[in-house]
Parts: sequence; C-alpha cells; structure tokens
Amino acid sequence: MNSVSRSRRRRLSAAAVLGAIALTATACGGGGGSGEGDTVVIGYTGPLSGGGAAYGENVKIGLEMAIDDLNADGVEVDGNPVTLELKSLDDKYAPSTAASNAQRLADQDKAPVVVSPNAGAIKAIQQINSGRSNFLISAYTSDPAIVQADNPLTMMIPPNFESYAEEFSETAMEHGGKKLALLGTQSEYGQQWTKSIKDAWSEAGGKIGGDNSVDYATVSDFAGPVSKALSEKPDAIFVGGPSQPTALIMEEARKQGFKGSFLVMDQAKLDEMATVTKLDNLKNSVGVLPVSEYEDPGTEDFLKKFAEKAGEKKVPTSETALNYQGIAIIAKAMEAAGTTDDPEKIREAISEALPEVDDKYKVNGFPDEITEQGHLLNPNLEATFLNEDGKYTKVPIEQVSDDK
Amino acid sequence: MRLTRAALMPAEDPTIMTLFIQQLFNGLALGGVYCLAAIGLTLVFGVLRIPNLAHGALYMLGAYITYFFLTTVGVPYIAAIGIAAIMLFIVGVGLERLVFHPLRNSPHTHHMIAAVGAMFFFQALAQAIWGADFRRMDTPITGELRILGAEISAQRIVIIVTAVIVLALLALFIKRSIHGQTIEAIEQDRVGASLVGINPSMVSMLTLGLSALLATIAAGLVAPINLLSPTMGDALNLKVFAIIILGGLGSLPGAIVGGFALAIAETMTATYISSAVGEAVAFIVLVAVLAIKPNGLFTKAVQR
Repeated sequence: MNSVSRSRRRRLSAAAVLGAIALTATACGGGGGSGEGDTVVIGYTGPLSGGGAAYGENVKIGLEMAIDDLNADGVEVDGNPVTLELKSLDDKYAPSTAASNAQRLADQDKAPVVVSPNAGAIKAIQQINSGRSNFLISAYTSDPAIVQADNPLTMMIPPNFESYAEEFSETAMEHGGKKLALLGTQSEYGQQWTKSIKDAWSEAGGKIGGDNSVDYATVSDFAGPVSKALSEKPDAIFVGGPSQPTALIMEEARKQGFKGSFLVMDQAKLDEMATVTKLDNLKNSVGVLPVSEYEDPGTEDFLKKFAEKAGEKKVPTSETALNYQGIAIIAKAMEAAGTTDDPEKIREAISEALPEVDDKYKVNGFPDEITEQGHLLNPNLEATFLNEDGKYTKVPIEQVSDDK
Repeated sequence: MRLTRAALMPAEDPTIMTLFIQQLFNGLALGGVYCLAAIGLTLVFGVLRIPNLAHGALYMLGAYITYFFLTTVGVPYIAAIGIAAIMLFIVGVGLERLVFHPLRNSPHTHHMIAAVGAMFFFQALAQAIWGADFRRMDTPITGELRILGAEISAQRIVIIVTAVIVLALLALFIKRSIHGQTIEAIEQDRVGASLVGINPSMVSMLTLGLSALLATIAAGLVAPINLLSPTMGDALNLKVFAIIILGGLGSLPGAIVGGFALAIAETMTATYISSAVGEAVAFIVLVAVLAIKPNGLFTKAVQR
C-alpha cells in the first residue's frame, strides 16, 4: 500500500517537473519553435482588477475567443503552422503600468502585438513601441488622439467617437426637443464626449442647460444629480459612463417624471443596461447598436460561442466583439506579411489582409480599409434609436475625419 | 420677453421649493448611510486607536453577502440584511483576531499596511466569487411618497428611518448594556479599564465586529439605489474618513453630526453650485474645520 502510493507520488512529481519544463519552453516561445510550428504571443495589458476590471475582462474574452477559433482553424505563416497564445497582464487602468507591461510583453515574450483598451495607456505605450522595441499596438479606444499621434505601429479598432455627436443630437432633438441637459460621467473620456455633444447640439440650433456631469464611480445616490438636471426642464438628456450606472441614472430620471429623449454615450450599451433596469426606462434613447443587432455573416455564431463561454446571462458588448475581429485581422495580416516577428510588415499588410479575413470573424461592423494613420474604417457604421415599442431601429452614422 | 417671464414665474416658484425638499431628503438618506458607516469606523478608532482602512471593503463585502442571501438564496430583504450583518460581525471579529491582534504591540504603520492588505484581499475575494461586473440588487420596497410636492422613493425613507432606529439602538447599547459600557470604558482609559477587570481584547473584537455589522446595514440599505462592485467601498472609505476627522476621531456624536452635515452639504452644493464642487465639498469643509478646530468638532475630553 505504502510503496504503491509512493511510486504514484514519484510519478506525479515527475509529471509535474515535465509539465513545468514544457511550460517554460512555451513561455520562451517566439523564435523557439520546439516540435510542431511556432508559438506567437499576443500581449494584452488592461484593467483586470479594480474599478475597470469588468471592462478589461470583456476585452479579454474577445481576445481569447478569437485566439481559440484561429488556432482551431490553423494559422500558417510562410509555410509554417503557428499557434497563437494570449498573455495578459493587469495594469489597473494606470498608463505607466500599462507601458511597463507592454515593454515586458514585447521584450520577454517577444509579442509582436500588444492589445490595450484605454486611451491614456495607449498614449503611454506609443512612447515605446517604435524605437528600441518594436511592436504593433492593437488599440481599443475611440479617442482619435491616438491616431493623430502619427505612430507608425498603431491599429485603432473602434470608430472615432466624434462621429456620433451630430446624428445623436439630431435624433434626440427630433424625439425629445430643443433643450439639453448634460449628465455624463466626469472621466476624461466622458468630458470629451460631453464637449463633442455640446458642440453638435448648439450647431443643430438647440439650447443647453448647466453642466451637471457627475463622477459615476463615486456618487452613492444618483437622485440628487438627476433632480438637479430635471429642474431645468430639459427635453433631452446626455448620459453615459459604464452601462450599469448609466442605466440607474436613466431609471431615476424616468421615476422623477422625465419624458424626453436620452443621448447615450458609446461606453454604455443599451442591451447591457437592460440587465439592470426595465427596458421601459431606456426607451426613446439614441446610442450605439448592440452587438446582437448586427447582421454580419459571423454574428450569430459569435453570439452562440459567447453564451457558451461567458454564460447566457452575460451580454456581449463591442469590447468583446471588436477585439475578436481585431485579432482575426492581425492573424491574417501575419499570414499576408509572411512574418510573425516584424511588426512593420504586419502593419503594412493589414489593408491587404482585410478582404481576406474569413466571414466567421465578421461580427460587429467589419472594416474594409485602414487609414494611413492606422484607423480601421467600417463603411456602414450604424447607431441605434430604441423606440417607444422597445425596438432597436438603425441610425446610419457618417464618419468624421480623424484630423484635429 | 417680459410676457414669457411673467408667465413662467408662478410655475417656477413651487419648482424651487420642490427641488429643495427633494434634495433635502436625498441628503438625509445619504447622511443615514454615511452615519452608519462612520460610526463603526470611529468606534474602532476609539478602542483600537487605528484607522481601519479596510472599512470600505467590509461595507462592500456586507453588500455582496446581503445580495447573495436576497438574490441567490431568496430570503426576504430585511432578513438578508440581518444575516449578512451577523456574518460580517464574525468577519470583523476574525479580522481583529487574525490581523490587528497579532500586531497590537507593533508600530502604528503596521496596522495601516495590514488594513490596506485586508482591503485588497476582500476586493480580490469578491471579484473571484461574484466577478468584476456590476450587480444590481432589487428590493421589495418600491413606490414613491409625495412630500410637499416632491417625489421621494420609499427606499430613501426606509434608509432614513432605519438609520435613526439603528443609531438609537446603538446609543442605548453603549450607554446601558454592560458590553457597550466596556467599549466606552476602553475608549476613555484603556489601562484603567483593564484594572477594573475589563478584557481589552474582548472589547476590541466586539468593536470591530460591531463596526462591520453597522457597515453592512448601511450597505444593505444603499445597495438597491446603487450598484454592487468589488470597488464600491473605495469612494465611501474616503468620505467616511473625512467625516470622522471632521467630527473628531473616536467621537460618536461627531460621526452622527458629521455624517449628516457632510451629506447635506454635498447634495446642496451639487444642487445650487455644481456637481464638481459637490464632490469636493467634503474636503473643503474638512480643511476649513481643521483650520479652526484641529481636533474636529467634537473633541473627546480625554485624548490618550
């Protein structure tokens, strides 16, 4: 009895040692090429703990789904099969941590691509990605400042947020009225949105009340800020921050008798908001189109796979879907460039790769071109108006230039 | 132009009054929550002489456990808060035994570092169990009350009433019961209290347990009008520290007055000046009070 268990223990520890060696071998990957094909690390630095953790996790799910699917399909670069591997590091939303994470992913793991989902972090990483170390930034932010920086190795995935302001204002004015109250979040991004909406609203001939922006993350009770915004008797309210607190603000406004329309910033997703409040509270709003409302060739399968991975209750958002597309584009660009370790060639090959990407990866408004500055452009960008019947109607959006 | 203004005037007058009443109740509800959270913190400071930086994390944990019993297990709202409060009492006792008690003879910085460590531990634990997503907790208490033309949600009335009841019970407990009196005795004079046979480490456990219990009641009350997330305690932590410094460290009346004063100042400045100033007002008031009365509004007679 004793000897059996001892030998088993020995076997187990031998297996553990072997496992550890195998892990080390993969971790050193990149140029290693042990056994069949190479392993290429896709780096990811995002908030995985702290206040932004939910957002960072959503991005990560998209990356994981893409890498699983691509590996199952098989990626072949220059005649060699390549296995993609995701390596994620937590930056807690801090740009300085994000930059050192990116450096580490590029130097230690030889990652040719690093994904980052936050404008501040991307700006910090842009200081180090084309110099001593070279890597492509897969940038998930709608802040055009990152392409204005003229960084040769940046790929910006989502549409420029400034594109939404004009159409949002017109739609909300049509369904609400001329007087706007501002109740967005006080983050840097929220304030950029507020300004963009303010400009578009005045241009369309509307009136704007006082700025009632509040910090969605620190306010314990939204009733106060909402009462204040409503005291100016607005016809439309601009709201937005993370989906869930935005939903509470809208619910509170409806409770206090607001009948007008809402303009919802792109950070908040109407379908995700519907998980914390009744759809009734969200009606008469213009916002970004939920992933599930897209009719791209791969959307349906993507939604199924997402439900399997994240559970039926979780709502897929564009953070997941657009990063899923982004990795598929990068993998195709590696194939087109015939290299996994030359980020410049990968970046150059993106426009050639776009039409080659398999239909199954087209899930959330697939781009057909990449601008000189590195912005992926979806030709048919659409937003949505959630009407009185609780139906999402599509609103076409004309994209503005990324130039200042 | 003149005509429109004249037409608007009668309609605007009641609005101004309604807005004021609405915000007064919002401020009182917020004050109730601040108070319950601040009292626990000030008690711990009075007895253990440490700023418990993990207080916000206990509040967060209390909210999640209430959520668990209400939503996952399905017990009624009040019972869920009660069970969570008892569980957090045990967590508080455990925190004292496992973290603060072993450090009782070490320098004060060690307590603070340990408290920060406990805070991160609780946050990571909550994220591991419930995930990083925001959660919404629904209550059976719905509907609005019309008070002088203002629509006040029933939940806010419940918050105000519960806060008053809990505060009254707490005062009764501290002033009248033996266990409560030992807390006050230790606060006033640790050595003297031990000499008359009070066991300081029992009182320390009781106090931390009580502070976690009060924070849980606050969290259970406020959760339905806000959202649950592993970092929900951070913002509260900062404000509650401002409140107890404002009121005087270790002072119960200070925490009560400070809690309501700060909450009302916050809502009123946000209403009549701007939201940005509303967020900052806690700290403006704090600096102003400390400049005039460096020990806070209600300085304790004995400071050891």
